[in-house]
Amino acid sequence: MRWVLPLLALLVGGIHLCLLFYFAGLPFDVALTDSIVNTGILSLSVWGMLLVVNAYPTRVGVIIYAILIGSFFALSAGYASWQAMRLSIGKDDRSYYMWLAKTMPIRYIINVLICGWLATYTAMEKQAEALENKFLKQTDAAVLHKEAELYKLRQQLQPHFLYNSLNSISALTMIAPEKAQDMIGKLSDFLRSSVRREGQEKISIVEELGYIEAYLSIESVRFGNRLRVEFEKEYADDAQIPPFLLQPLLENAIKFGLYGKTGNVTIRVHIALQEDMLHVKITNPFDNDSQPPRGTGFGLEGIRRRLYLLFARTDLLETHKADNTFITTLKIPQHV
Amino acid sequence: MYKVIIIDDEPLARQLVSTFLQPYKEIEVVAECGDGFEGFKAVQELKPDLIFLDVQMPKLNGFEMLELLDEVPSVIFTTAFDEYAMKAFEAHAIDYLLKPISRERFDKAVQKWMQVATAKNTATFDGMVPTNVYEGYQHRIVVKDNGLIRIIPAQDIFYIEANDDYVKIVTDAGSYLKKSTLSHIEQSLDPQQFVRVHRSYLIPISQLSRIEPYEKESHIALLHCGAKVTVSKSGMAKLKTVLGW
Repeated sequence: MRWVLPLLALLVGGIHLCLLFYFAGLPFDVALTDSIVNTGILSLSVWGMLLVVNAYPTRVGVIIYAILIGSFFALSAGYASWQAMRLSIGKDDRSYYMWLAKTMPIRYIINVLICGWLATYTAMEKQAEALENKFLKQTDAAVLHKEAELYKLRQQLQPHFLYNSLNSISALTMIAPEKAQDMIGKLSDFLRSSVRREGQEKISIVEELGYIEAYLSIESVRFGNRLRVEFEKEYADDAQIPPFLLQPLLENAIKFGLYGKTGNVTIRVHIALQEDMLHVKITNPFDNDSQPPRGTGFGLEGIRRRLYLLFARTDLLETHKADNTFITTLKIPQHV
Repeated sequence: MYKVIIIDDEPLARQLVSTFLQPYKEIEVVAECGDGFEGFKAVQELKPDLIFLDVQMPKLNGFEMLELLDEVPSVIFTTAFDEYAMKAFEAHAIDYLLKPISRERFDKAVQKWMQVATAKNTATFDGMVPTNVYEGYQHRIVVKDNGLIRIIPAQDIFYIEANDDYVKIVTDAGSYLKKSTLSHIEQSLDPQQFVRVHRSYLIPISQLSRIEPYEKESHIALLHCGAKVTVSKSGMAKLKTVLGW
């Protein structure tokens, strides 16, 4: 805008000069003086006007505000030029004075148009800038908030499992040291892959299943080999899934399945890719009587919240009870 | 000889405690239980001197189990919860052990209990667990009903009434008494769903059918179940905040 205004002033001055010299037939020196005085005063006036508009932005009625301010400066500039020309060239040149007086209305109108347009443009630009700043600030805050929330949710998913596993290892060191060593290896694998995927929005389903396997082998040590998990896979290997979603779901399935019954428990995981959507279905047995009335704490709620933050959808996780089985269905959109 | 029961859902965690207890010749492990129900039965039957209790368990969690017991033995909590959360229960138990449990820390807890036990000054659990530090608000209340344990989902509750040392929980299937106070129940339930409308009444918002003026400064709330409940001046103010009037 800084270099546009002087250019604009030159352009306006040039047009003014041409009009007076070629069309009105004034002598060149008179036309030049008229053009310089007029354009100079108008430029000063525009400069003052823009200072005012920038210093006192308005929130409402931008156009009316701009037109009022524009008209004020345009009329002042017109009056100043009229006085300047009347007292300089007009004093000696009677015919020029008459011509000047006749063209004053049209000069005023042109001034008002130029000032009004510039004032409106500047005021609206100013308003748009303010809106954009506000919007950017809000989106920044939203992104930060989302990241913080995701981080917190992930943190919540980890410690219980870790502490309980360490406690089991501690017991094994006394009663079965080789098994303890084995479990330390599994736990390390699990932790290593957890650290690796931290911060990744999506990973391949194959990688996630490797991680789940490490997790399940730890769980089966903790729960004394009562646990069996069967996987059925119908998917392309390049399917993607956000990390840390499957594990809490399986944790839930294990909790319900393993505790309801005393014997062995089989959990089925069916994974399929259909029309750009990865479907994961987890089926586990459960005991109707021991079922708490709502989801267990943040387990399912936390996952639902994460899915919402990632995909802005609330229909991706569904649970369903039927005849002592609990079915959890998770859908992950593939190309978002 | 002291009788001890270990209640934990993980077999290895139970084994750890029983292994740590082996050097104590005066302590006998009389039972090991895998969930709150079993634990409740065993404690009622065997009347142990001390229990090692996990907090997060299926069926009944550790706190719910304690609330139901007629006679509460000395308790040492064993849990993977963080220290901050467990501090809240310190006053209610002999000690708490954070998993993974070290032998040193374990011995300290047992010795602490021994001192209390020999002084014949058993610290008893008062049955008032600040429940809301545990996984947010509760969505159920457990009560004993003719020796059976009944789990009442929060959405089945018509209203709860204070009744001397007990609270009366009125539901579709009948009413149940529980040894507790209305303030304690109020704190454990979601305040967006349950409002203490009167010194003696706690009602779920979903049950509210109509409110009529009664005597000066008090109202009567009509519930969907047909019951009428007095609403005090401060109760009315609370209702207004929750309902956004």
